[in-house]
Amino acid sequence: MVNDTGQLYTMEGVAAGLIMLLTAYIVISTTSVYTPGDTHITDMQLEQLGSDVLAMMDTPDTETGVSDLEVFVDHNNATGFEATFLDYCNATTGGAVDSLHMSATIYYQDGDEVKEYLFVPADDSWTGRESAVRATRWVQLDERSRGPPLDDRARAVLVEVLIWRD
Amino acid sequence: MEGLNEEGQWIVLMGLLVAVAMFFLALIVNQSALVGQTTAEGVLEFPKNDIRDLRTEIFDCVDEFGDTVDADVKKDIVVISLERKNAVVDFSVDPEVEISGGRWLHPVKIHYNNGVTVYDETVYY
Amino acid sequence: MNGDDGLLSLDFLAGFTIFMVALVVVVSMVPGLLVGLQSSGIDYDAVAYRTGVILVEDPGWPVHPPWELYDVYHKDEIERMGLAVSRDTPNILLSTKIEKFFNGSADGSGFFDYPDDYRRRVLFGDYPYVCNISMSILGGPTYMVGDARPQGYGYIRRVVKVKEPSSAIIQDNDLYRAAVPSNRTQFTVRLNCSELLDPSISPAYRIDPRIERISVKIANFSYYLNSSPYATLKNVRFHKNYATGSLPFPYTSISPEKYRFQIDGVDTTLTPNAHVNSTLYLMLQPASLPIDPNSVIDIVFTFEEPAPDPPRTTISGLHLYDYNATNVTRPDLTFGVLEVAVW
Repeated sequence: MVNDTGQLYTMEGVAAGLIMLLTAYIVISTTSVYTPGDTHITDMQLEQLGSDVLAMMDTPDTETGVSDLEVFVDHNNATGFEATFLDYCNATTGGAVDSLHMSATIYYQDGDEVKEYLFVPADDSWTGRESAVRATRWVQLDERSRGPPLDDRARAVLVEVLIWRD
Repeated sequence: MEGLNEEGQWIVLMGLLVAVAMFFLALIVNQSALVGQTTAEGVLEFPKNDIRDLRTEIFDCVDEFGDTVDADVKKDIVVISLERKNAVVDFSVDPEVEISGGRWLHPVKIHYNNGVTVYDETVYY
Repeated sequence: MNGDDGLLSLDFLAGFTIFMVALVVVVSMVPGLLVGLQSSGIDYDAVAYRTGVILVEDPGWPVHPPWELYDVYHKDEIERMGLAVSRDTPNILLSTKIEKFFNGSADGSGFFDYPDDYRRRVLFGDYPYVCNISMSILGGPTYMVGDARPQGYGYIRRVVKVKEPSSAIIQDNDLYRAAVPSNRTQFTVRLNCSELLDPSISPAYRIDPRIERISVKIANFSYYLNSSPYATLKNVRFHKNYATGSLPFPYTSISPEKYRFQIDGVDTTLTPNAHVNSTLYLMLQPASLPIDPNSVIDIVFTFEEPAPDPPRTTISGLHLYDYNATNVTRPDLTFGVLEVAVW
């Protein structure tokens, strides 16, 4: 009692099964789509951290005090700026030290132009291929004799920091 | 049309079902991809830190100059914002007015527009 | 013409049912499958970011009175746990809030239960997230709540500053030595709340007895002794708005949730009637006194010697608990780092 009338149905069943497997495979394989999303997430984390660090450096510890950031920029203390920034940036609760690096540029207005000077140069870990993020902070400088390039007048300058992970 | 029978109709039905199932799966895949993109981009694109920073800077100006903000400092902020942050920024500080509680504060108007986010605020500082 | 060509056969019906059931199961499994795959990189990071924002930029809810002052019986009224001093001061955290927030454990020994209380009040969302939140303060303690981190979790790190409570340390101050000592003498520490809560002072630097501890320490009490090895402290009382009657308070019992009082380093009640040799230390917990923005609170230390004894202390006068740096020490904001891991 063997005949071949049911074969078509079996083949349809196999086809349907294959389609479902294919669908499931496509669904799972689309997780690779998330890779760009993942880099966005790391960027977001770094940018938030950078903004936090600059904001905290710009917060005086006492009511009448002057913030670290203002002092560093006003007195062109690049070493102090770099050390404090990296200290804050790389601190973790577990005591381990993160491996973030930075460079900083200051933008100021001269005439009608926006000019810049390199405040903290990048260290050796910078190759140009890193996916660095940018964090900025305004600094208000009082009128004071400080010489070029920021000369003496009261001014607002923008500190721009590039942060990348080793 | 005598030779035709209708026994194959269920195949058409199956095809329809599979199509519907795939449509739903595609919808799910599509949405889950969006979750990752929008979360990070939402955070990156909304200039919360920039606006906060700008406010602090303007308040620093008010602390230093009162309602006669130095024209050069204001120009610094406007010009550098446009050049480095791609944001149109404007602000004005009015003379102090008395607000509830008997305090005298400056009404500060802040305008910020970076093409994606527009932010306007009148704050008493 | 009543053939059965258009009807479905029974075995087809059975096969079709099985197929449909299988399809439904597969379809319903797929989204769950995706959650497992996507969320490690994406959803968890988003939740960690959100949790970080709530903790660092939000003072929590309710605000008046602040959530960290709720006792265990009113714990359910806490809706959101934020650590910021106020909503205008992002990234500046209040030490009192930090202590309360990290007072949680899985075995029920802490104030909050991990993970339920943390899921409901800081992580949010329908998915039962698990977290590890830790914080370390420069030169201070490291706090942690939650489980050990597995492989693959959402993460955010925030850099903050921490505001610690103020204290008045009174040491060798001639202003408080009476020229003519008397047998019964009073020394007052005054908190003028309308001055302390002045809105022109940023919440980041404000002395706010409603949300922060107040402490008074008379170090080196022997400086005020009147050629005697000790003086007798009768009691300490609180007065509001210059009233003669004292405020209702558990003066005669030790109650750590309201105050802490030490004579020469030994805990005692506010009605000690005991000898003082070297130090007096009083710490009032936040909101232990009924304080409103206009009240004036006097903390009165009364020294009294039994009738035939000579006056044993010269201390007297009024010490203002205010923004004058010589009267009250306000600690600098200290650097801290907060990490949130969610999975």
